[in-house]
Amino acid sequence: MKNEKTPSGNSLSESIKIKLLAVFMNVVLLIFSLSCIFPLVWMFYSSLKLKRVFNADIIGLPKSPTISNYITILTNKDYHIFASLFNSLRTTISSVVLIILFGFIVGYILSRVNFKGNRILYVMFLMGMLIPIHSLLVPIYVVFKQAGINDKWYTLIIPYVAFGLPIAIFLVEGFVKAIPVALEEAAAIDGSSFTRTLFSIIFPICKPILTTVGIIQTFGCWNEFSFALVLIKDPRLQTVPLAMTQFTGQFSSDYPKIMAAMLITMSPVVIFYFGFSKQIIKGMVAGAVKG
Amino acid sequence: MLNSIRPKNRVIFAYLLIPVVLYIFAVFIPLVTAGFYSFFEWKGGPNKKFIGFDNYVTLIKDSVFWESFGHNIYLVVACIIGQIGLAFIIVLMINSRLVKFKAIHRTFGFFPSTISAVYIGFIWVMVYDYKRGILNWFLELIGKNEATKVWLNEPSLVMLLIAIPLIWQFIGYYMVIIISAISSVDQEIFEVAELDGANAFQRAIYIIIPLIKNTLLVCITLCVAGNMKAFDHIYVMTAGGPGNDSMVMALYGYTVSFAQQNMGYGSAISIGIFVSSLVVIGGVQLIVGALTREKEGVRK
Repeated sequence: MKNEKTPSGNSLSESIKIKLLAVFMNVVLLIFSLSCIFPLVWMFYSSLKLKRVFNADIIGLPKSPTISNYITILTNKDYHIFASLFNSLRTTISSVVLIILFGFIVGYILSRVNFKGNRILYVMFLMGMLIPIHSLLVPIYVVFKQAGINDKWYTLIIPYVAFGLPIAIFLVEGFVKAIPVALEEAAAIDGSSFTRTLFSIIFPICKPILTTVGIIQTFGCWNEFSFALVLIKDPRLQTVPLAMTQFTGQFSSDYPKIMAAMLITMSPVVIFYFGFSKQIIKGMVAGAVKG
Repeated sequence: MLNSIRPKNRVIFAYLLIPVVLYIFAVFIPLVTAGFYSFFEWKGGPNKKFIGFDNYVTLIKDSVFWESFGHNIYLVVACIIGQIGLAFIIVLMINSRLVKFKAIHRTFGFFPSTISAVYIGFIWVMVYDYKRGILNWFLELIGKNEATKVWLNEPSLVMLLIAIPLIWQFIGYYMVIIISAISSVDQEIFEVAELDGANAFQRAIYIIIPLIKNTLLVCITLCVAGNMKAFDHIYVMTAGGPGNDSMVMALYGYTVSFAQQNMGYGSAISIGIFVSSLVVIGGVQLIVGALTREKEGVRK
């Protein structure tokens, strides 16, 4: 829509109308965008206030900014802020690596290798996208408890990988279908084994789709709350969202402290997002639409 | 398919074993387990008593469960209208050549959807807070002191107040999906329509919506699946209260199983959630599938 409005309708009142429309639309969109970023800004400058200063004026900028909230949070070991960041990092990284690896292998095999049960497995993983996983919240606790694997450092990796697999498999399966089989045949003629072809030839080709999978699952695992809530009771193993619910319970009246804790624990995703927003938005959208 | 150079069966088996076992263990075993325990009276301890279909009879008569189901449906409808509807209107504005800072709107608008629902819940608790909330601060600022409330304690308002953060969080997400759908359509179509004298409203209804219908249907499917599993925001904001006025299914199953230690009935609720969500999500997908196919048929 690059062409300018035809000059015939360009009377004075018409151009005023267009200007008003332009102002209106820009203002509406600015309000929308600012509302999305305002909480972050508000939390940041409010976290530099003391509790009583904040309670007296919730919206004003701090007159004498202080980092005492941050110091209290970071120096007191009872709050487990660093532990929760570490737990979230470990869980997220392990889960995402496994989802990419397994999703790639299973997606490739289901797309390329003919064996008995191929279609059954395909349908089984397809069902995983339809199954309402929130109905598993209570039963998964029962199963993990009986198997004695709740409250371990690796506990959350199991459901995260299992729930992330279906979408990963389907994205990879669709992607591999578009790669010509001649490529693998040529590799086989040159004496490359199945495993070697899989990892040194197909894997690099699938990089774009695996990046998409990685982006979606990174946010998914980092932000996941409900399964962490039922499977983890040990405060030392809590992930970030879980630790935050504990923290706000303790400091329900001290908003600046809560804000400081939220900002600290949010910072990895916020930095990741604003550093790579273009790729992240592209990846999330591609994953949503194809899935 | 690889035929001439197919790997040996045991190679395939070795590669598939771990992911398949993991997947079955975390998805199907819990489902079967829930089905099994749903026939028992079980308070989480060592004693279980087989009671047949009693839990299901209770479930069917359980007004709280159906109220929760209704709240899930409320959120689905509110979010389809609020998220996809508002996102569509915002996209129409962003695509206008009169608008500046398009990239910033995208980056900022998408941001809330990358944050954990727990944080979004806390932020909105702070917005709705009685003494220190932004909402009451604003009402006082414009001189409407009598309108200030303990917002999340209002039974008639609580579902709306919970829907607002959900809608707000994901507008940007749907906005970006719709932008990318529109930009993949041949832009000449819009130029021709504009030259032919179609106004912005006509272009939106008669040209843009039909062209991106499939994407809009995908958005609706995502919206339905996302809101049937609502849990995190509500756990943080109201924990289902006041009373059960903001209870949703997943939270009810959680409350019965853990707060009341009623694991047998909790298992029956889980099966109830499974079936009812599957019916809603599956039903919507069938309708969407039929609509999508119909459109492709017309195009051919």
